[in-house]
Amino acid sequence: MSTSEFTLSIFEGLTTVDAWTFERKPLLATAWEHDESGLVWTVKLREGVQWNDGKPFTADDVVFTYMDVIYNDDITTSMRDIITIEGKQWQVSKVDDFTVRFELPVKCAIFDLLIASDIVPKHKYQPMILAGTFDSAMGADSKPEDIVGTGPFMLASHETGQKVILRRNPRYWRRDAEGNRLPYLEEIIYVIVQDLNSEFLRFRNAETDAILRMRGEDFPILKPLEREGNFRIYQLGPRYGSQYVVFNVNPGASVDGKPYIAPYQRRWFSDVRFRQAVAHAIDRQTIIDSVMNGLGYPQYGPATSAMGYFYNPNIRTYDYNLDKARSLLRDMELIDRDDDGVLEDAEGHKVEFTLMTNAENNQRIAIAEIVRKDLEQLGMKANLRAIEFNALITRMDKTFDWEAILLGLTGGPEPHWGAHIWKSGGRMHVWYPYQKSPATPWEARIDEIFDQGFQELDRVKRKKLYDEWQAIIAEQQPYIYTAVNEHMVALRNKFGNVFPAPIGGVLHNAEEIFLLEP
Amino acid sequence: MSQQAETVAAEPSNGQTESLSPLRLSLRALRRHRMAMHGFRILVVLYVFTIFADFFAPYHYDDQRRDHSYHPPLRPHFYDDEGNFSFRPFVYGSSYTFNEYYQRIYKQDPSKKYYLRFFARGHKYRLLGLIPTDVRLFGVDTPGRLYLLGADHVGRDVLSRLIYGSRVSMTVGLLGTSVSLIIGLLIGGISGYYGGTIDLLIQRLCELIMLIPGLYLLMILYSTLPPGLSSVQVYFGVVFILAFIGWAGLARVIRGMVLSIAKQDFVTAAVAAGLPSWRIIVRHVLPSTLSYAIVAASLSIPAYILGESALSLIGMGIQDPVPSWGNMLQKAVNISELAQHPWILWPGFFIFVAVMAFNFVGDGLRDAFDPGSVAGQQA
Amino acid sequence: MISYITRRILIALLMLLAASILGYGFMKLAPGDYFDRLKQDSRVSQEYIEKERVKYRLDSPVYVQYLAWLSRFVRGDFGYSFEYKRPVAQLIGDRLINTLILNIAAITLTWLVAIPLGIYAAVHQYRPSDKVLSSISFMGMSLPHFFLALLLLYLFSGELQWLPAGGLKSVDYDQLTVSGKLADLAAHLAIPVAVLVVGALAGLQRIMRGNMLDVLRQQYVTTARAKGLSEHRVIYKHALRNAVNPLITIFGYQFASLFSGAALLEIITSYPGLGFLLFNAVRSKDEFLVMGGFMMGALMLLIGNLLADVLLAVVDPRISYS
Repeated sequence: MSTSEFTLSIFEGLTTVDAWTFERKPLLATAWEHDESGLVWTVKLREGVQWNDGKPFTADDVVFTYMDVIYNDDITTSMRDIITIEGKQWQVSKVDDFTVRFELPVKCAIFDLLIASDIVPKHKYQPMILAGTFDSAMGADSKPEDIVGTGPFMLASHETGQKVILRRNPRYWRRDAEGNRLPYLEEIIYVIVQDLNSEFLRFRNAETDAILRMRGEDFPILKPLEREGNFRIYQLGPRYGSQYVVFNVNPGASVDGKPYIAPYQRRWFSDVRFRQAVAHAIDRQTIIDSVMNGLGYPQYGPATSAMGYFYNPNIRTYDYNLDKARSLLRDMELIDRDDDGVLEDAEGHKVEFTLMTNAENNQRIAIAEIVRKDLEQLGMKANLRAIEFNALITRMDKTFDWEAILLGLTGGPEPHWGAHIWKSGGRMHVWYPYQKSPATPWEARIDEIFDQGFQELDRVKRKKLYDEWQAIIAEQQPYIYTAVNEHMVALRNKFGNVFPAPIGGVLHNAEEIFLLEP
Repeated sequence: MSQQAETVAAEPSNGQTESLSPLRLSLRALRRHRMAMHGFRILVVLYVFTIFADFFAPYHYDDQRRDHSYHPPLRPHFYDDEGNFSFRPFVYGSSYTFNEYYQRIYKQDPSKKYYLRFFARGHKYRLLGLIPTDVRLFGVDTPGRLYLLGADHVGRDVLSRLIYGSRVSMTVGLLGTSVSLIIGLLIGGISGYYGGTIDLLIQRLCELIMLIPGLYLLMILYSTLPPGLSSVQVYFGVVFILAFIGWAGLARVIRGMVLSIAKQDFVTAAVAAGLPSWRIIVRHVLPSTLSYAIVAASLSIPAYILGESALSLIGMGIQDPVPSWGNMLQKAVNISELAQHPWILWPGFFIFVAVMAFNFVGDGLRDAFDPGSVAGQQA
Repeated sequence: MISYITRRILIALLMLLAASILGYGFMKLAPGDYFDRLKQDSRVSQEYIEKERVKYRLDSPVYVQYLAWLSRFVRGDFGYSFEYKRPVAQLIGDRLINTLILNIAAITLTWLVAIPLGIYAAVHQYRPSDKVLSSISFMGMSLPHFFLALLLLYLFSGELQWLPAGGLKSVDYDQLTVSGKLADLAAHLAIPVAVLVVGALAGLQRIMRGNMLDVLRQQYVTTARAKGLSEHRVIYKHALRNAVNPLITIFGYQFASLFSGAALLEIITSYPGLGFLLFNAVRSKDEFLVMGGFMMGALMLLIGNLLADVLLAVVDPRISYS
């Protein structure tokens, strides 16, 4: 486990995001605005901030972070590619000690989100970069004094695989309303657990104070114990992410001429009516009740309300209706001609295919089992195969020899993070990746939406674009969504100022949390 | 250690001496080994379930009732709510709701009685794969349901799935052991008989294979299976993967025995008579090892059962909906589910019983076939 | 004897080499590599993934990668783990200690219990107590590890809450006194050790019993009895010593198992040992970690076998190696 998990409280970016609305708020920057062209941003920095080793924070550190760290080819970071558009990089330069200028090659709607990326101090890390020790210093072996940030906490110690201890940063810049320096807490201990069973048991036996991602089946055991165990369970709405079924429509063939997928199967899968029929045939309520212990939400499109501002609730939904499903299939001439319970097409091919999922995820296997049975009711014979995650990815990304997959995605509140998925040339455009040009008009429209959305600086206009995206996906069902878990957190009642939020989780305001008097 | 069992005189009660063949003698010794006989009886029961699974199981293994998710054991009553006795036991209709703690609360509906029937009509099947029928040992009138051991998360009867699951768990050991026994006999025989460099190389090969940790090899081999396989093909794939690991150990044991047998007079005689090597190995040497090979094999059957269970438990073995005792335990690994629905742990108990039965029988066989060992002499 | 040992060591080295080829080959047999997982993170660009793969030479043919690994391995450089971003040697070392603690505790306990039980069973052969012990042994041997672990975890940690929920140390371990730390460790080790002991007890107990019975029938024992020595002395002074001898070779084989972790057991009890580490490494194709763990396991097995054979020769004068 690398230390990046804990940098949330150790490092800060120029901006941060609101834990409920995802709006950007000032952090190390106090103001940011762009010029008329939209290509040049001027960012004003907060004065009086110190690094946790006492040195002052200035514009030099910001320039250093972008130009010498993120854009440094020798350093491991994926941020670099995110802020490199068509090979062109940002130009970050110092205007004065507390003002920085960003020159962008194209307009960027999420500029203020991107600059929430951690800022690191020049005085500490520049010598390391020159000596080549930066990567190892920031790796899992790091020494506490090498982790220098401006955040409310500092690394006190860590035992690999066991725990990480953060302690209070006495030089943190933020103060409360009465002028006291934050944070209040002296120490945060992260206990690393190998599995969710352990996390649950430890919390129940009062060894830990929080469960950050509670499972649906833990709820019936923990909820009645709230009073006795002195804790509270927070239900925060649907989680990010999704679990969906996807069908292969890739028309290509492997090097020896064998098509990735049988042409007759491809014909079914490419027909939107087929996918919509499947969407009507999935019993989402059973998935929620049996797999998530009743604590989940049905999903029909790529976003849930967890996406916040950009969520479009007015998309097409698919009720559990086998008759509707069958009539759609009948329109496609998929009928059970010989009364054996399995549909056949006009040429006599039985509707049969392999449904793969990854073996490591028990919840996904359980969902796949239900979907398989649902499809059987519809008249499709789906053969379930759980395979190793890596093997699955190889098929999706390299060999393309698969028919149907049940997969999941984590998500986030920013739609653009899904660009690799939704754009037709994207590598994660699972049903037909790496397209040279969009295969269908709606995929072409989605390409446009994502290109425009990235550069659209007007928030309202931007939302319209992404609303349309969700509507198209819900209509076309390239991913047939099932259900998503309830985001739940359990926290012991000994803390004040905790406001668990869907986006920020529990520790988004770590500096404000304090221990209540017993 | 390994001796050719010779004809031994036994003293029956009427005072006459009688010669018994080694086989008869061994079987006798086996019958006296109490635990082995218990084990044997358990195995017989389990195999009867395996062969006649459709008959004994009230429900098909994929018969879901989604409104009966995690139904606790629902057993027949003789007395109804008002205390009336009924000769024919019955169950009530049942359904659940989530309470405020999202616990499933099942309420029975006394107005709906479904009677237990023997030789009831159920899901169609083919008896012994041939005779189409739909008669099952017992069942209740539809739409009532009987869950003697409870139901799983989609309302499938655990007992039925346990019975169907025995088809996988009980046969994987036999099949896998047979395959590795054949391979082991051949390779061990060749190795022990020829000796020299062949022996050296083969022994090193066996050691090499045994160096690779089992579970990881199983996982890796499983991921090489092509995905379009039917469940039956996956089953055979798993069997062969397990056998691939198992033959090396058997080969070593066989080789040890062959080494000592090869020095014996009757082999020298056969060589002198000009018999071809393969004939000597297959028709003379190997049969002498057979009894010990069988013991070794039967003692390794548990390893196959456990191997398949472990694989299926981590999702890499038998796939849903086909039940195996291993894949039925997937949900049991989750402590919260286990605490609320302990009956999902039954498959583990069955694995335990089957393995134990095989261990007892194997131990009995070993004692019976090796008269040199002290434990073989029963009081 | 020395020449025998030398020969065995040479052969062992060759075997290690062959094992490394076999192991590496099998590992590469499964499709994909570690970085495939990154492909599922929609924020990561393709170029980044490709760069990482080239950095670790994952785009070269398999034999090239193998030779690269081998040349570093023999120089003591076991590589880095992709997942943990730390040197493999360190990772294994950390977890190895935990696994050693677990296994040493289990083996010690097993021997401490099995030997007296075996003697008792032999001395009371065929009496009810022997049969009961025999049955219990078999039951113990037949219980699948994961099943027992689940049962114990559910009972003692879940329902009764006597024992902690897994892991090795409590959160506040560092603040405990020395005796507190020991108690804490013991509580955490209880379930995994119990599972291992139950499984191993049976075999060892029966072997001890068998050996004891063999010895008790020997001529010299009858002689000792005829000489009028007390039964107690006969058993404990004369028979026992000879019965224990063959067990020493078993110890050689157990040496190898000291360093291996049972993956499923560790996963269920959340024990931070080698088994869990390597299990995840194989799953995620964390190559250098897999090879590091595998080679160490293979080495230990070879040493264990050698140890067992040598001890056998030392202990049994009938066997001699040239």
